[in-house]
Amino acid sequence: MNNKFTFGIIFIGALIGLVMVFAPLQTTHLGNAQLITAEKPKGGDFTLTAVDGEHSLSDYKGKLVLLYFGYTFCPDICPTNLGNLSVAYRNLSAEQKDKLQILFVSVDPERDTPQRLKQYADYFEASIVGLTGTPQTLMEIARRYGVVYARVDDPNNGTNYAVDHSAFTYVVDQNGLLQQQLPHATTPEQFIKIINQYLR
Amino acid sequence: MKKTLSTLTLGLICSLTSLHAWAAQADHIKVENPFAREVPPTAPASASFMTLTNDSAQEIKLVQAYSDVAKTIELHTHTNDDGVMRMRKIDAITIPANTTVELKPGGLHIMLIGPFNPIKVGQTVEVNLEFVDGSRKMVTMPVKSFMAMQPMQGGHKCGNGKCGSGMGH
Ligand SMILES: [Cu+2]
Repeated sequence: MNNKFTFGIIFIGALIGLVMVFAPLQTTHLGNAQLITAEKPKGGDFTLTAVDGEHSLSDYKGKLVLLYFGYTFCPDICPTNLGNLSVAYRNLSAEQKDKLQILFVSVDPERDTPQRLKQYADYFEASIVGLTGTPQTLMEIARRYGVVYARVDDPNNGTNYAVDHSAFTYVVDQNGLLQQQLPHATTPEQFIKIINQYLR
Repeated sequence: MKKTLSTLTLGLICSLTSLHAWAAQADHIKVENPFAREVPPTAPASASFMTLTNDSAQEIKLVQAYSDVAKTIELHTHTNDDGVMRMRKIDAITIPANTTVELKPGGLHIMLIGPFNPIKVGQTVEVNLEFVDGSRKMVTMPVKSFMAMQPMQGGHKCGNGKCGSGMGH
């Protein structure tokens, strides 16, 4: 698990059988994240753990869900994205806030405990729920959503590893269907536009 | 003799020119809009950003940075590889002759790893930049929150580094 320059991987939705060949669950010792370009990821329901217990995506049926995968040690990419989401959230009406849920899924279960995730998510004041799970569960979900992640050890500092990760925000509609993915650095204005589109 | 004189003069001009070129690299770098980022209390590192302009005719490399606010200071970059953000430590940030290089979120940055105290909005942070010739430049920068970096257009009330109420307890 702690081999240098590795641990995690990777995955893109579609063609699960094919992906299995590239990335069997237990033996994920590749040097770099692999990008297997594929069609639209299929998404789907999942169950993960928050500080107050298990949450399933299907618990949020009827709400628009914005789903982001990252890790709390992330110094720049995750705070930028969640910060933009937070600014967008604050500009919504009470009714819209009610119909929206932002989920932050950590792909760094080794360090991100549910407690830590709550502390992190609360900082953004956007009613974000922080979720985590076992490495196996996370990999399976990541594969379905086309999320890629890989641990990168710091040669100078063994404890402070970074995690390469795809930085999309996934838009899951009120029926639990993955509708689109938004790129890193999507602005608050763009988030609001998308939210308005689904919460009409 | 005349020829010798003009050669001497030329030599003198040349050496003056090169002397001028040897003026400390730090003096040729203009720093604009520096800021450090407030990060969630759980994040073990912050980043600082700025615009660096090299007004000389030679490329200048930023090779190290120092600060008392954190245990380790490193030069980093991000690359966006089909949506996968990869952060890497780099040995230098090159500022080509007469060029401006931007350190900004999602790209080049100076990492402040292991802050001794939380880096909070309202504080200032000092970062000393060292260039390849050994010259240094001290940069004093405000700490900004993620909200201040993405001000809403129009009638939005956020700004001044603070947004909403009761940040990060
Ligand atoms: Cu960095």
